[in-house]
Amino acid sequence: MSRVDDDAAVEAARNIDLVEVEDGYTLQNTPDDPVTEQHDTSQIPEMDVTEEMLRASATDPEVWLMYGGGYAQQRHTTADAITRDNVGDLSLEYIVQGGVASSMEGTPIVVPGDPPIMYQTNGPNHAKCVNARTGELLWTYTYNNPDDIHGNEGADSRILLCCDANNRGFAVLGDKVYMTTLDSGVVALDRYTGEQQWYTSTGDYRKGYSATWAPVVYDGQVLTGSAGGEYGVRGFVAALDPENGDILWRTYTTDPDRWVGTSWQQGCATTWMTPTVDPERGTMYCPMGNPGPDFDGTVRPGPNPFSCGTLALDATNGDVEWNFQESAHDVWDYDSSSTKVLIRDVDLRGETRDVVVSAGKTGWLYTNDAETGKLLRRSQETSQHINMWEMVPHADSDESISYVPGAHGGNDWQPPSYSPETGLVYVKQNNTPHEIFWLNSEYEAGTTYWGGTLNDWPHVSEPEGWNGHTSQVVAVDPVSGERVWTEWIDSENYLWGGSLTTGSGLVFLGTQESKFIAYDGETGDRLWESPNLGAPISSSPSSWYDPGTGKQYVAVQVGGSGWLRHGPRGSTVAVFGLEGDLSGQQGGAQ
Amino acid sequence: MTYETPQIDHDERRKFLKVLGITGAAAVGGDLAIGELREAADEPGPELAAMGEAIRNDLSGSLDAAVLETGLASIGTQIERIPELGAAGFPAADSTAYQELAEPVWTVHDALAEVGFLASAEEHLPPFTGEHIESTARALVGAEALAGTLLDSGFTEEELTTLFSGVATSRERLSLWMPTQAIPEGVEFDLEHVAPLHQRAMGGAALWIDDLDTYLWQAEYLIPEAQLRKGLWDVKEMLGGAALFTAAAHDIAGPARLSDSQLTAALTAGTASMILGQEDLTNDVYRLTDDQRTPIEGGEAP
Repeated sequence: MSRVDDDAAVEAARNIDLVEVEDGYTLQNTPDDPVTEQHDTSQIPEMDVTEEMLRASATDPEVWLMYGGGYAQQRHTTADAITRDNVGDLSLEYIVQGGVASSMEGTPIVVPGDPPIMYQTNGPNHAKCVNARTGELLWTYTYNNPDDIHGNEGADSRILLCCDANNRGFAVLGDKVYMTTLDSGVVALDRYTGEQQWYTSTGDYRKGYSATWAPVVYDGQVLTGSAGGEYGVRGFVAALDPENGDILWRTYTTDPDRWVGTSWQQGCATTWMTPTVDPERGTMYCPMGNPGPDFDGTVRPGPNPFSCGTLALDATNGDVEWNFQESAHDVWDYDSSSTKVLIRDVDLRGETRDVVVSAGKTGWLYTNDAETGKLLRRSQETSQHINMWEMVPHADSDESISYVPGAHGGNDWQPPSYSPETGLVYVKQNNTPHEIFWLNSEYEAGTTYWGGTLNDWPHVSEPEGWNGHTSQVVAVDPVSGERVWTEWIDSENYLWGGSLTTGSGLVFLGTQESKFIAYDGETGDRLWESPNLGAPISSSPSSWYDPGTGKQYVAVQVGGSGWLRHGPRGSTVAVFGLEGDLSGQQGGAQ
Repeated sequence: MTYETPQIDHDERRKFLKVLGITGAAAVGGDLAIGELREAADEPGPELAAMGEAIRNDLSGSLDAAVLETGLASIGTQIERIPELGAAGFPAADSTAYQELAEPVWTVHDALAEVGFLASAEEHLPPFTGEHIESTARALVGAEALAGTLLDSGFTEEELTTLFSGVATSRERLSLWMPTQAIPEGVEFDLEHVAPLHQRAMGGAALWIDDLDTYLWQAEYLIPEAQLRKGLWDVKEMLGGAALFTAAAHDIAGPARLSDSQLTAALTAGTASMILGQEDLTNDVYRLTDDQRTPIEGGEAP
């Protein structure tokens, strides 16, 4: 019998039902209390993670201590034991059988030691601690999300989820790991035992708030955000005390002075992915979601800052530094929610400067000056643009518009990666059309109000000029804006999740075809691919080097997730490894 | 560089004349000068006067004539600054030039919102139906005093025609902007947080103009000068709408030189121009496709 078959936390998570309701999804059969199951926790080396370790996470080949690998969110490991020449020998080391077939969009983090320890989360707020050398389960945990709908407490007092029971991973500091919860909270667990230490609600789930991203720890704070952009919430960014969960500061992302009337109170502009942090400046760069309501902009006139772009905040107190909007006053659900990539010392337009690269749903990459927010480049297109920003005539004629990128982008939340070796940013893009119908004549009390409705491919009129390709992997030079290489991937499922770059110039990513792929980052050639892993890959990988085994590992969660064509569920973490030496070239700042 | 006033094409001309009820020989020639159109256009429907009377009676005692008179003059002053902004090109990082344009609009907006004028306008005026726009256009063209207000504020005769034609021929776009009370209860967002239509138009216009200092500086790299020239007309369109709306409010507060029909026309057309201007601005300088942007190949070398 495998560990998951008699594991109480796994069983609790397995019992939770994700139920489709009129406005989205909700949860049923959640546990009354948090559930922790401990196995051989003695394998976890006692070594608290320090802020110094976090700052070095991006350059230390033996760790992956936060969602994006490091504060710059480059999703880059300096480990380079796996190379272009030997990647063909990469093989499966072990598979963590999760036992919970739910959303699998997370990135496992890895704390160094003997053995290294992996902390991994998936939906619905289920977590595991794993011996990263062997794959053995050390503890498991399931959070007790509220189950109000099960108690017949009414439609206005339940968890509402737009897009699945997602969770994208842990943050770590000291003896704790931190996870956001679907009821819009943050929970801290003892990383040695899996026992819950504290829980803080950051927003009222009864109003539509939820939380799905991996938080990030910086300067004595757990930085988190807000979700609920389809339910009329007011977006915010918040910082919590890592020791006790006290809210240290909160910045709302709709400024009353920049919205008409009180529309700011339901203006959304949520920030539902992990922020990027620049420790040198003390600045955080937040990915910004759509304004609310989604499709009827007439009730919220003006640009609707700080929606659909990048919001730079002072990471010590939340003061606004700058904001850049990629789709001001958006009415196509063009969030810019993927993590922003900070790149230092770029020579661009006559100056050496740090830049922030953003890949949003609009299907271009934006390169902004990290200090001022000034736009320096908008790349060549990373998806097709058909009927882009076209409005539809009034409903009387029952007209509609089919457009690319659809409401899933372009680039939805999928985090890009950056390779210092190639100087390229790698993005996973969708290219299927969506169709909007205006249905103003069909207003009915008590029904959802988008100002229209949305159809997903293939249930749309295919627009003239669409090339029939559904998704692609694209490498973009963020300095010149050039699209350097592209690989189209056609499937009935969408392409989801992020990528990873290595110190040897490789790019790893999973596809909706259940394959994990290694590319030559420079040329786009496929150098290696995994066996079929049994389900689409919707997650973002991580990598580390274990000096105890002399191997470099790459881990990826497997399973279809998300709000559209995600394909079959999965419940595993696949870990690949290859013995080899580091080049000794590691180090330096990112 | 200055701004670029859009040209009225054949299709728009045909629609404009049809809305005004001008047919036959009068529609064949002519350069669409407002004076000539005034002579040829049909009279507006009688319902406009009743609406104007209701608004006048509702709030005539609460408006501050001095604030509105100053506001109207200041909006005119700012409209006359637009060529200066065009000549200056893209703003510097610390520019407040566009925010200054919007300042008198905010002053009027705040004064009108405070006494409930914007809610009253929404209460007494209908949605942007074809009939209402038709009557509005006819009353607008016939109101010499309103034309004078705009001509005194830096509009040319040709621009006046363009502004009025835009209102008369944009029913489909305008009809998407529904009065708040026409949105049914029970929608997914809280109607309590939806401002009256006329406040959305005026506040939205001011917010867009405010945003230009930062946005144009940020996105200069992407925006061709030709698009900026169009955007500057859009700003003028919004400010022209604000001037019309303010003139109507001022008329209620004091001079009563406008007929009740003309009052309604000024409020409706002013609102429409503020709406159309903000939508046009987004399309001209914010939402740039690869065909519209400064070509990437033409940019500076890395």
